[in-house]
Amino acid sequence: MSVVKRPSQKSKWYIPGVLTGLGITIRHMFFNLLHRKDIFTIEYPEERYPYSDRFKGNHILTVKKDGSLRCTACMLCATYCPAECISITAAEHDDPNVEKYPISYEIDILRCVFCGLCEEACPVDAIRMGPEHQTAALAGSRFVYDINKLAYRPNLKGGVLSHVDDEERKARGL
Amino acid sequence: MPKVTINGNTIEVPAGTSVIKAAQLLNIPIAHYCWHEGLSVAGACRMCMVEVEKMPKLQVACNTTVTDGMVVFTNTEKVKTAVKWALDFHLINHPLDCPICDQAGECKLQDYYMSYGLYTPEMNQPKVKKEKVVSLGDRVVLDQERCILCSRCVRFTKEVTKTHELGIFNRGDRSQLATFEGRPLNNNYSVNTVDICPVGALTSKDFRFKQRVWFLKEFDSICNGCSTGCNVTISYNQNGVFRVKPRVNHDVNGFWMCDSGRDIYKYTNKEFRLTQVVERSEKLGGDAVRGKPVALALQEIGRQLSQVIKNKGAQSVGLVWSGQYTNEEYSSMGRFFKDLGVSQFYHWKNNEKDFDSFDGILKRGDLNPNTAGLKKELAGLKSWADFEKQVSPLEMIFVMGPENFGAYSDLEENVKVIKKAKEVVWFTACESSLLKEFKWLIPAKSFVEKSGTFVNSKGLAQAFKAGLTIVPDAVSLEEAVKGMQESARMVS
Repeated sequence: MSVVKRPSQKSKWYIPGVLTGLGITIRHMFFNLLHRKDIFTIEYPEERYPYSDRFKGNHILTVKKDGSLRCTACMLCATYCPAECISITAAEHDDPNVEKYPISYEIDILRCVFCGLCEEACPVDAIRMGPEHQTAALAGSRFVYDINKLAYRPNLKGGVLSHVDDEERKARGL
Repeated sequence: MPKVTINGNTIEVPAGTSVIKAAQLLNIPIAHYCWHEGLSVAGACRMCMVEVEKMPKLQVACNTTVTDGMVVFTNTEKVKTAVKWALDFHLINHPLDCPICDQAGECKLQDYYMSYGLYTPEMNQPKVKKEKVVSLGDRVVLDQERCILCSRCVRFTKEVTKTHELGIFNRGDRSQLATFEGRPLNNNYSVNTVDICPVGALTSKDFRFKQRVWFLKEFDSICNGCSTGCNVTISYNQNGVFRVKPRVNHDVNGFWMCDSGRDIYKYTNKEFRLTQVVERSEKLGGDAVRGKPVALALQEIGRQLSQVIKNKGAQSVGLVWSGQYTNEEYSSMGRFFKDLGVSQFYHWKNNEKDFDSFDGILKRGDLNPNTAGLKKELAGLKSWADFEKQVSPLEMIFVMGPENFGAYSDLEENVKVIKKAKEVVWFTACESSLLKEFKWLIPAKSFVEKSGTFVNSKGLAQAFKAGLTIVPDAVSLEEAVKGMQESARMVS
């Protein structure tokens, strides 16, 4: 049953309501002008909110000491990924100690749900979630990140070193 | 016949059967690496320990023959402990490179560790280092560290191929699998050693690092590489077919298949395939035009066929058959043309010289899966020599061309003969620059995309089912007949 409420005589008296709202706004304006430091909002993008270094944002592919990719193309991240956003093509490396490496590693960042399971699945600390979180771009193709973007983007300054080192593991007899 | 009771289930087996085989018949799993049904018993891995009543010690199930009234247990604590520590010894020097190992996902070490192991390793010595990525031949790569020395591959080259390429050298933890100097593993059955390797020591160069096995789906099929008709399992995913493995059939191929048969999948993948109809006509300026819908193309071919029959008679139409299609296709296409009065059927054999040869194990010289079926379905086939003589007066030829171009070494010469005919309609699964001058090229289905029957050289008819679609526009000959028949009958 729908009940139609006719505007009563009382509700036509809107002017006090408008003035009360305006009063609150003006009060805040003067308060903020006098206490600039206590303002909650920031002037994005000139000003940015500092996220924790542990924030799980855009992926980073780590590198070995010689600067090559740590990734062995085992595809556990691609298997584990619930969004199926990782695609890897493996190839045979000339060095028998490396054996397998990725010739292409792509993450479709628009499909990614930033769950962090890839990081968890990786047996050699080759993929990590970095603190960056701003992923704006103009073209759709810019959202498919390749090896260059994931491992060697400028703000990584030549790559992030992996914790897992083959020579160290060999020396320990593993 | 002795009766044996395993875990409370009784079965009667022929005398001389081993306990592990009897357990297999009862579907009771017994862990094993070295035992293989198609090879002799080695007793090397010590994994198949079972408890036999009235015997003081555990026995290996592979080398213990069943006796009457034997009572065996495979799931007692004693057995589980024995298997667990046998596994521990296997893994002492095994490198932990599952992430880069192709066997991961179908590795028996992984499987048994999850079902019997789950221990914390107690070994604190460094692992023995051996050679990695050793090329054994054209098709097989060895990783000596991963090898558990089960000797299955050694016994395979000794007993099945009798080529004796592989051996185990040195002693103790320095034992290693290797080939003799200057004698690489290059026989035509070498990839079977990869299949029977229970771990990742032997991997196939062709499949290496292409896909992780858990991304692949499988279906059963029949190899179309030669007239033996080996039973195979085909692994594929959305990117195409990746490998072919043998499936057990004691009447045809046993446990094995040849290496050339493993390459058949390549001709089914998109990069080798004709994906669209190719038409060449004077109206269109003589250039090849691609992309006509296959239904329209078939209608037009039917119309042209009826015109030719009306004007020049049915004897001016000829059909060239290769043995690479199914029985169902032969009979429907054959019936269609016989109804129109066409009876000039020619058999295109490849490699006439070694057509009847046989290598003694599996591979035959007749590289067509269904020559026997072709002869059965279409009686009165004329030979290729007849075709060479009779080709010039023919107005229109339908060529049921090979699907597997690798098998047809005489393709180039025969294409020249076929070119003498005025109009050629060629059904082909493969794309080739040799075929570019023909009037019609119709994309045909490969054997993984259609269901049907192949008759092998022994006369055994084997049915198989379609597993996936690679070229959506491709048609089988049955579908081609359906496309042509309406327009072909309209005029005549």
